[in-house]
Amino acid sequence: MAVARALAHEAEKLLACIHCGLCLSACPTYLQLGDENDSPRGRLYLMRAVAEGRLPMTSEALARHIDLCLGCRACETVCPSGVRYGRVLEAMRADLARERLTLGQRGARFLLNHVFTSPMRLRWIFAPTRWLRRRPFARRLAEGGLLPARLKLALELLLATSPEADSIFTLPRERRPSPSASARGEGRRVAFFAGCVARELFEQTNRATKEVLMAHGCEVEDPPDQVCCGALHAHAGELETARALARRNVRVFERCAAEALVVNVAGCGAMLKEYGELLAGDPEYAERARAFAARVRDISEYLIEIGLRPGSRPVGLTVTYDAPCHLHHAQRVTTAPLELIRRIPGITFVPLVESEICCGSAGIYNLRHPELADRLLHRKLEHLRRTGADVVLTGNAGCLMHLRRGVRRAGLSIRVMHPIELLALTYE
Amino acid sequence: MASWIAELQEIVGREDVLTDPERLLAYECDGLSIHKHPPAAVVFPESAEEVVGIVKVLWRHRVPFLARGAGTGLSGGAVAVEGGVILELARMNHILEIDYANRLAVVEPGVINLMLTRAVADAGYFYAPDPSSQMACTLGGNVAENAGGPHCLKYGMTVHHVLGLDVVLPNGEVVTLGGHGTDAVGYDLLGLFVGSEGTFGIVTKITVRLTRQPQAVKTLLADFLSVEDTSRAVSAIIAAGILPSALEMMDRATIEAVEASVYAAGLPTDAAAVLLIELDGLAASVEHEAERIVELCRTNGARQVIVARDEAERARLWAGRKGAFGALGRISPDLMVQDAVIPRSTLPEVLPEVYRIAARYGLRMANVFHAGDGNLHPNICFDGRDSDEVRRVKEACREIMELCVRVGGTLTGEHGIGLDKIAYMPLVFTDDDLEAMARVRAVFDPEGLCNPGKVLPVRRCRAF
Repeated sequence: MAVARALAHEAEKLLACIHCGLCLSACPTYLQLGDENDSPRGRLYLMRAVAEGRLPMTSEALARHIDLCLGCRACETVCPSGVRYGRVLEAMRADLARERLTLGQRGARFLLNHVFTSPMRLRWIFAPTRWLRRRPFARRLAEGGLLPARLKLALELLLATSPEADSIFTLPRERRPSPSASARGEGRRVAFFAGCVARELFEQTNRATKEVLMAHGCEVEDPPDQVCCGALHAHAGELETARALARRNVRVFERCAAEALVVNVAGCGAMLKEYGELLAGDPEYAERARAFAARVRDISEYLIEIGLRPGSRPVGLTVTYDAPCHLHHAQRVTTAPLELIRRIPGITFVPLVESEICCGSAGIYNLRHPELADRLLHRKLEHLRRTGADVVLTGNAGCLMHLRRGVRRAGLSIRVMHPIELLALTYE
Repeated sequence: MASWIAELQEIVGREDVLTDPERLLAYECDGLSIHKHPPAAVVFPESAEEVVGIVKVLWRHRVPFLARGAGTGLSGGAVAVEGGVILELARMNHILEIDYANRLAVVEPGVINLMLTRAVADAGYFYAPDPSSQMACTLGGNVAENAGGPHCLKYGMTVHHVLGLDVVLPNGEVVTLGGHGTDAVGYDLLGLFVGSEGTFGIVTKITVRLTRQPQAVKTLLADFLSVEDTSRAVSAIIAAGILPSALEMMDRATIEAVEASVYAAGLPTDAAAVLLIELDGLAASVEHEAERIVELCRTNGARQVIVARDEAERARLWAGRKGAFGALGRISPDLMVQDAVIPRSTLPEVLPEVYRIAARYGLRMANVFHAGDGNLHPNICFDGRDSDEVRRVKEACREIMELCVRVGGTLTGEHGIGLDKIAYMPLVFTDDDLEAMARVRAVFDPEGLCNPGKVLPVRRCRAF
């Protein structure tokens, strides 16, 4: 049985859960729903029941509660027993995917397996959306009541990516780092991981990242044949597609003589750093994937590592930080973003309560479970409101969209930005 | 479908009554997973009124029920041993009132222990009882079990910090016990209720005492090369008349597990055991007592005594201590944690004997406990799939309990009797004692519907 096989090699990690329950209060879905079945411990209990033959793979309850998991991995950060929840979850989802899928899941999987695997097809798919987000009628459509709820939500999220909003071009003063700064030429070479959706919809974040790297004397290489990291696939249980993408990225970046592979999306970074484990069973790639993963750095991590040099122009803003789950929990990069932010000149930093709790974005979770995602968003917005900040910074594409949409709908005057965009503003 | 299910659905809505056996599975055990009994249903009330409504329905239909919080308890107290309904109170998680002028807070039972301390920290207060599971466990559960924690050595147990309770009795009647003052007139029914392990009724509102943060805190870590030396140091500190706010012991197996976990605190993995000692109060007295403690540890064979440099190091040491139970999951798939109390002076003789019992049964043991209170927590690491090992665990537990009772101790320090220790009750109580307790229980719950099968052994023939 597929279940037994997939869970067997995760069995030790599954068994490591001794039911202490410390994960409960870290779990966003449990905090909202208060149901043991929607806690990490409860989900592990269901998975263990499947592995032990006490629960059928076709169980309605299993499918429902595994599906409701955000995959934020906050439970791993607090688990004293070291349960690798994320990996167990992915194995379970891979098994469930073989059993049965809803129509929506089938659609999502088609996109993942046939569109997100090809930069060219992504380009074609996203071209109209880039056009759309610049159209005034799109905003009217998003604000009106004509569209079905799910489509309206998707459109709101799309609009939340538009460079007109919160971009470095619309901030109080227009500042862009000058590439000439790289004339200092310390001869650092870095490869840039551009991301799939990020390349299509977050051009300004990517540009800011490259320019800040150049301002730090880095020569930046952006291989055009790189592909999606495979995170969306792995989270949905499409592990084979994720592996295929990983192999391609390993080959592409092996050609770069870069000391680091820098990424500005937390979700992608977490996936890239786990290539070693993803391809551990592939004799040809196992070692190469480990070497690849060892070079991966989040942009905040890398800048702190090489010695952050912010520009001299003060931004004069009150700023708070919301930690992306895949940076804070999955990559355990917790201090670098804060250090980076605190060293931006002219910053007043205010901490955000529950900054380590998921905002509800979670990849495409907000599209799949809008109601629960919105409850988490609401909780986040309440905390944001209390900070009195002008800007909330967060280093992940999905969170940026989700929070920006939330902030706009709630009518808050808070800008939502990637930390690197604010840093980019400080250069002459 | 039983008619009471439809009635419950009417109160909380269809979605909030679980009856599908697959969704009840996760509710078959609490923090002590050795006892498994699925409930007939789980219901999620969101207000005191809903709790009253639910209890009245169940009372009328004579369906047994019990309250559950985060399910972190370690005596099987939140397990539906006789089937029946679990009232999951996790959604009743609001802090209703914080009153600094009177140093109290009013909370719903589903509020997480640590959340209360966080809510009042900026104002310079804390909620003193701090069970190791405080980041997840609920105050309602703390009241039921009269929970303790490392700092109870100085500050007392939950019972010393609860000023008043709103309680739904098993027949649905609502009563208020205690109040906002320090003492209520008449019999101390509040004291009776706290620690009744969910057998007297369901708490819907709790008034607790807030404690002022001390002026100074000092945390010391002493490491030893033998368990005997460590125990002697504990006895010496207590005998010297010093009252640390916490005095915790962790042995090598525990240290190794903690250091391998996310809660690694930089504990010396080559020590036989360490003592984590905390002093708080006025800066001058803390300084003075710290010197005395360093001296007492040294004369009892401590290899090294270090003082936490700053708040971050102090927090790290405590996170290591509080994550210790969970960290032991690294050693084996299952864990049996015992909870027994012994007179503190007997620690040097009892602790080595506890290790000998485990060795005799061929079991792996780790000890991490509240040494200053004489509150032992021998943890036995085992694999539940090995039935012979499970049998040996049970026998070893019994021997440990008998040993503790023999030296003048008792069955539980803070986890409660629950389901797990019922069989040991006759070790410390006579039939008459148990009968008297059963009568007290019957005053609150004459029908035996509220968390049945807990605390008191069930006897076939009852005297009345």
